[in-house]
Amino acid sequence: MTSSAALATAVDAPVLEARDVTLRFGGVTALSEISLQIRADEMLAVIGPNGAGKSSLLNVLSGFYRPQQGSIAYTGRDMQGRAVHEIARAGIVRTFQGTHLFPHMSVLDNILIGRHAHMRSSLPQSFIYFPWAQREEARHRAFAEDIIEFLEIENIRHQPVGALGYGLRKRVDLGRALAMEPKVLLMDEPMAGMNTEEKEDLARFVIDVREARRIPVVLVEHDMGVVMDLADRVAVLDFGRKIADGTPAEVQADPVVIQAYLGTGA
Amino acid sequence: MDPSGIFFTRYETDSALVRTRAQWLALALFGAALLLYPWLASPRLVAVANLMFVTAIVVVGLQITTGYAGQINLGQAAFMGVGAYGACVIEVKFGLPFWVGVPAGGVFAALAGWAFGLTAARIKGFYLALTTIAAQFLFVFVVLNLPSSWLGGVNGFSLQAARLGPIVFDSDRALYYLFLASVAVMVFGAFGIVRSRHGRAFVAVRDDDVAAGMMGIDVAGTKARAFVLGAFYAGVGGALWAYQIRFVSVDQFTLFNSIWFIAMMIVGGLGSIVGALIGTVLIRAIQETITSLGPDIVQLVPALGSDIVFASMNVFLGLVITGFLLLEPKGLMHRWNIFKAAYRLWPFPH
Ligand SMILES: Nc1ncnc2c1ncn2[C@@H]1O[C@H](COP(=O)(O)OP(=O)(O)O)[C@@H](O)[C@H]1O
Ligand SMILES: [Mg+2]
Repeated sequence: MTSSAALATAVDAPVLEARDVTLRFGGVTALSEISLQIRADEMLAVIGPNGAGKSSLLNVLSGFYRPQQGSIAYTGRDMQGRAVHEIARAGIVRTFQGTHLFPHMSVLDNILIGRHAHMRSSLPQSFIYFPWAQREEARHRAFAEDIIEFLEIENIRHQPVGALGYGLRKRVDLGRALAMEPKVLLMDEPMAGMNTEEKEDLARFVIDVREARRIPVVLVEHDMGVVMDLADRVAVLDFGRKIADGTPAEVQADPVVIQAYLGTGA
Repeated sequence: MDPSGIFFTRYETDSALVRTRAQWLALALFGAALLLYPWLASPRLVAVANLMFVTAIVVVGLQITTGYAGQINLGQAAFMGVGAYGACVIEVKFGLPFWVGVPAGGVFAALAGWAFGLTAARIKGFYLALTTIAAQFLFVFVVLNLPSSWLGGVNGFSLQAARLGPIVFDSDRALYYLFLASVAVMVFGAFGIVRSRHGRAFVAVRDDDVAAGMMGIDVAGTKARAFVLGAFYAGVGGALWAYQIRFVSVDQFTLFNSIWFIAMMIVGGLGSIVGALIGTVLIRAIQETITSLGPDIVQLVPALGSDIVFASMNVFLGLVITGFLLLEPKGLMHRWNIFKAAYRLWPFPH
């Protein structure tokens, strides 16, 4: 390796990296020898047909599934064996396919959950409440309100999440993730099941996250069209294998990708 | 939700418990009524109120463990027993005053709760229920099998009246104020917990523990904390109970009692501190009415005999609770919230 190439990799050092990951469920190989790098300041789209292993990949990256083979490195450190909540606190934050919000809590409380790991009040301090816990609540409330304003959900902040429509719920899901101050944001099909208007709204927020907040984003989608405008780079999964990785234009022109998407029947 | 037209400009005010002048007034009147009660009610009713106070603390604790954090606990009476015995040991063996003994009773129970909380982190639902039932038996087993010079064994444990300087808490009226103050502190603390990061973590773990973990919440630790806290409340309640009865024995803290605590929590409404208080007062009131009506009925219809009357009273009480679970499974607080929301918007649904 030449010294200039070594320098380039140092500057471009990935924030998050899957190294040769294989994940099996019984006889099903959900991921097969996947290597993938997420660099600082980029939006990486992961696309592929249903069942290709996209959700499994996010679950491995966030420590929820333990791969049988390979490892996950976060800013160069091996994440092997860390508890899910430790990985989240380190800054690898995700949103969910469908919703995993807390339905009985208000929008505001859901977002404040994202602040949990940043708050410090002990049980005795919360019991006494005044003044520490109250002050801390107000401080983090202000943080949550900034996110609420950014996502334009001020008028529903006190509503229970269970009562909201799907589009708004996905916004709250994003808000809760942002409240954690992620270093990498993993989003699992955030736009699935949305109408065009809702998709455009969410796309706008995701672009803002990436550009204004400078948080690298991994956007999982199964619809290829949605991500081509948004992503800097696209990785394509099919049957648990990575079959392409490049700019949207490169990937779109790749015959293997076209084959996977149009099906072998053609 | 607030009455329309009420807005807040500071986050502190928005999350305050008492927010309007009318609410402050209502609270002040209620407080005054509570302070006057021992002079207006008969001595027996004062004793009943004391029992309600003790029970309320225990049920608020259960509400935190089960209602908020979703961890089933059928051993709350055992934790209460640990607190009661703890207070006795502190007083009898170490000669320390009640204001050490009561918090210490809470701490002893919390330690026991911690042991079970670690288990809760690993098992769920039915198996957790079984494990907490085991707490009941373990408690009895330990007390009865330790040398009787330690915890009194089958003979139980007696202790002196609580005293604070010149004040001796040896009457129901004196105890009333001690207990009222204790309930006030413990309920205030419970509100602090549930509206802070810990309360939100409890609900998050209850509603979706996978998502909770991914949001950086230590799920196992949170479950253990919910048990520690609930047991602490039980322990404080148990210690106060010890100072009311001044005699403690294992048969005061049975599985049967634990189930009553659960009934109180459910009738009041899961996941509500006020609900825990309402459920406690309501069920204790019904229980007391039934116990005091029993002898009257026996006198009226002697043919029935007291055995049958008391047995059927318990069946009646069971039916009341079953009916409640069928007709109002979300508890009284839920109904009240619906009523309040409807009333505030009336007549303009906006
Ligand atoms: N928890 C699981 N248990 C068993 N099989 C699973 C599990 N999660 C995913 N799979 C399997 O792994 C494969 C990939 O699934 P998934 O990652 O959900 O795909 P995608 O998100 O791309 O639609 C599928 O065959 C699926 O059935
Ligand atoms: Mg998926």
